Amino acid sequence: MPNDWKTYKPLLLPAIKDLHEISIYEKNNGYQALRKILKDRETWSPKNVTSEVKTANIRGRGGAGFNAGLKWSFMPEPDGKPRYLACNGDESEPGTFKDRKIFEFNPHLFIEGAIIAAYAMQVEVIYVYIRGEYRPFVKMLQKAIEQAYEKGYLGKKVQGSDFSVDMYTHMGAGAYICGEESSLMESLEGKRGYPRVKPPFPAQRGLWGRPTTINNIETLANVPLVMNYGADWYLRIGPDTHPGPVLYGISGHVNRPAVYEYPAGMNIMTLINDVAGGMRGGKKLKALIPGGSSTPPLRADMLEGVTMDADSLREAGSMMGTAGMVVMDEDTDMVDLIWRISYFYAHESCGQCTPCRDGTGWLEKTLRKIKNGDGELRDLDLLLAICHRMEGRTICALADAAAWPVRYSIDRFREEFERKCKKTVYAVA
Amino acid sequence: MPEIFIDNKRYEFEQPGKVLQFMLDNGLDLPFFCYHPSLSIPANCRQCMVKAGMPVFDKVKGTFELDENGERVIRYFPKLMTACSLDLADGMVVHTHHSDELVKQAQADNLEFILINHPLDCPICDQAGECPLQILTYKYGPEGSRFEHKKVHKPKAIQLGPRVILDAERCINCTRCVRFTDEISKTHQLTIISRGDKNYPMTANGKVFDDPYSLNTVDICPVGALTSADFRFKARVWEMNQTPGIDISNGKGCSTWVWTRDNLVMRITPRFNEAVNDHWMPDSGRLSYRIFNENRISKPWIRPDEKEQVRTTWNNAELTLREELDKVKPPEILVIGSPHASVEDSYAYKAYFKSLGVADFYFLPHVIPGSGDDLLLSDDQAPNTRGIRALGYSEVAGDKLQKLVASGRPKLVFILNDDILDRSDLAPSHLEDAYTVYLGTNHNSTSRAADLVIPITTAVEHAASYINVDGRIQRTVPAKETLYTNRRLNLEMSMGRPDHYGTKFDNWVTDANRIDCIPAWEFITRLNSGSDTFVWESSRRILAEIGKKIPAFQGITYEQMDENNGIQLKLEQDSEVNTI
Repeated sequence: MPNDWKTYKPLLLPAIKDLHEISIYEKNNGYQALRKILKDRETWSPKNVTSEVKTANIRGRGGAGFNAGLKWSFMPEPDGKPRYLACNGDESEPGTFKDRKIFEFNPHLFIEGAIIAAYAMQVEVIYVYIRGEYRPFVKMLQKAIEQAYEKGYLGKKVQGSDFSVDMYTHMGAGAYICGEESSLMESLEGKRGYPRVKPPFPAQRGLWGRPTTINNIETLANVPLVMNYGADWYLRIGPDTHPGPVLYGISGHVNRPAVYEYPAGMNIMTLINDVAGGMRGGKKLKALIPGGSSTPPLRADMLEGVTMDADSLREAGSMMGTAGMVVMDEDTDMVDLIWRISYFYAHESCGQCTPCRDGTGWLEKTLRKIKNGDGELRDLDLLLAICHRMEGRTICALADAAAWPVRYSIDRFREEFERKCKKTVYAVA
Repeated sequence: MPEIFIDNKRYEFEQPGKVLQFMLDNGLDLPFFCYHPSLSIPANCRQCMVKAGMPVFDKVKGTFELDENGERVIRYFPKLMTACSLDLADGMVVHTHHSDELVKQAQADNLEFILINHPLDCPICDQAGECPLQILTYKYGPEGSRFEHKKVHKPKAIQLGPRVILDAERCINCTRCVRFTDEISKTHQLTIISRGDKNYPMTANGKVFDDPYSLNTVDICPVGALTSADFRFKARVWEMNQTPGIDISNGKGCSTWVWTRDNLVMRITPRFNEAVNDHWMPDSGRLSYRIFNENRISKPWIRPDEKEQVRTTWNNAELTLREELDKVKPPEILVIGSPHASVEDSYAYKAYFKSLGVADFYFLPHVIPGSGDDLLLSDDQAPNTRGIRALGYSEVAGDKLQKLVASGRPKLVFILNDDILDRSDLAPSHLEDAYTVYLGTNHNSTSRAADLVIPITTAVEHAASYINVDGRIQRTVPAKETLYTNRRLNLEMSMGRPDHYGTKFDNWVTDANRIDCIPAWEFITRLNSGSDTFVWESSRRILAEIGKKIPAFQGITYEQMDENNGIQLKLEQDSEVNTI
């Protein structure tokens, strides 16, 4: 039973030496899923591949948790003109550091998954968008891509079939917003990374106005597993609604911060105490950000029995996000933390929409005022009002991502915020 | 016909489109900043938010689902939608600030956000008075701001290019200017730099914003971030009179607004005309306003006995001219018309000399090959070349003109408002033997070579029509008083705030700015005061007379031109010779 985490054998990042070399990868069942598909095109027509992946319910690992196969099925029928697959390796959400592990240790798994995805959507060009800070990892991936070209998995007539596909890497220039799918496309086109107005959706009009699908790196790395072992096998890993292995990036005040691969739906306390070696210095757990900085933080007492899957976390009042868990101990100053997160979003807002451009700056300035001890109680109400005015009023979700941590931490740690404000509360006689 | 319900009122639409444009077309109000009908839709200011929904359609029954009151069940979109990017759909229900408190609040909230980093320096800002941000804030904005921190500081008074100055702090990042250079002028010279609340438009490093259409960005800027280097700090909007006109610096004849204060033209901006220039006009046309103010010929000038020109009276000028006319026979008169003169002036000018017996009428085209572009600049630098061709003037090239003078040996040369000495091989010495009369608006090399100079009105001082390179006839309206016209008596002239409400102390009336000149046709009428052949009372009458004589002009009136922003004439391509 793969759901017992103690006996779980990693699938995405298995402990095999030099797996990034294509020969080692091939020896370990590598590119078998692709070969299988190309050998039996009758059984594995693009439609069937898509429906298999759809059945497996691979939920997007980039944060939204949308069924990857379903997303592929939105692509219109091919019309002979170019269409694209863009792989999102921007990974710029604070607290998230999982894709780099795939680039470093198992790049061919991702490449194989991307090729299968391209086959399923009948796409001939794959772009891999990677943040500029990941220069060493881009080099690693580039080397793997070259190996795949040499072995005939990429390029014209893949493995002698009539299916051709090319893969290009593209480095971003350090903007968080370029991880948002539509601004990622703008950036790929060589433009300023401004999110696009939806509709039209990328599957209708994406890169250069052509149908495009954007998938996260980890999502695509799951695809060969599904094709190798079948959707039924995949569905048995983790909870029914959120199956498959997940790369948990655990950081913060734990003894062994790292990326761990376990099935989805792991108990949060098990992850912190057993997997990550417990709290650093034996301190008490105070708060947890479950899936990257934009997901609402949870108080320690809210974590009872909560597991790392979309449904359980939604019930608890947060989101799965990218499973980049930030663990904080009792010494953490929540105001300082939220100010730092707000500072990040104020710095990274692209500046296109008014509520986000000016709202993120306003949040940051107000939080800095509270952090510096100049806060007043009414500032908390103001912060909530600003959040309320930012949410759902912008083109992309950055405004929501900036507002949620503030809103929920004031909600959940109000006492602490009030304590910071009390210093300058004057009685009105 | 498809229908849409806006604020519980039913409207029908035929063409697919966007909700905001539909509302504007129907005279409904909604605040917006980034939207511009001629540019793409970025939906980034988020000001035009509305609550929108669609009726629920029951596929089984094939009808709309109804609630217990018999009303359609509406499923609203979960978020507020920007009307500018929202497609019209049959049955759509839209609620604006008139019928939904949430929308009203959202619009006020958005303005609060926009204003937190806006310097609010309206008293010293050039845009004040015609600033959408100022107007919409008064109308839709919050009563105050809760922002108590230091505003973001950005560079101020940056010279982006020779004609445009940027104040980055005032910028609200609507990206209209960037989209203009990307989509209309296609120079791609501007982009937004930096991120978040620190961003503002800028050129690439070391590049200059020298787009020939750069000043359009000043017009479409909804705040005072981009200002005209030329007009900056010259006048307040409410001090000026705004009169419709046309651009006479180019053959395209863009529709314009002429802004005057104290009878000086302060600036020229484009006026929307779908058939000619849309919302735009070239910088050269705007900056041509100086010719209306500076270096003007006021009062007739005469050259007594080979000496310097001196000012004289109208009476003396008229008498001298009559004497000179009596001295010569018609073949000894050379009449040169002008592509810069209006249809009416050119007609009267030709009709008069024709009655004297002059047979040939010439003009020198003002064309600079290669100076035009695909947008709004033509090679033709004159506003009425097609017009005077249609009136029967024959084109003569610059080098031929000299031969014409040399061979014909005219004793009397008439030149209508055109600096031909500047553009042809003709030198002042060639005109020495002849008595030269120049009817013109500005001092130039031709006027200085003339023996008699008659001051005439410019396009901003008379009502007259011009035919552009595409054969479209458009007319001007007097915007600037001459010594003989009066804003308060001429119903066509625009009245500004000071004219309506001012006292003599706050309304500028500088007599020096009123030029002593009359329309060319009026001077010709005066010359004819003895006869009853050419007695025109107004340029309207002249146009009516042309309409009777030349088929292409039949039935054309000023009223028609005003209504349709000009009329497309069916003119022969070239050398159309009509007998008058």
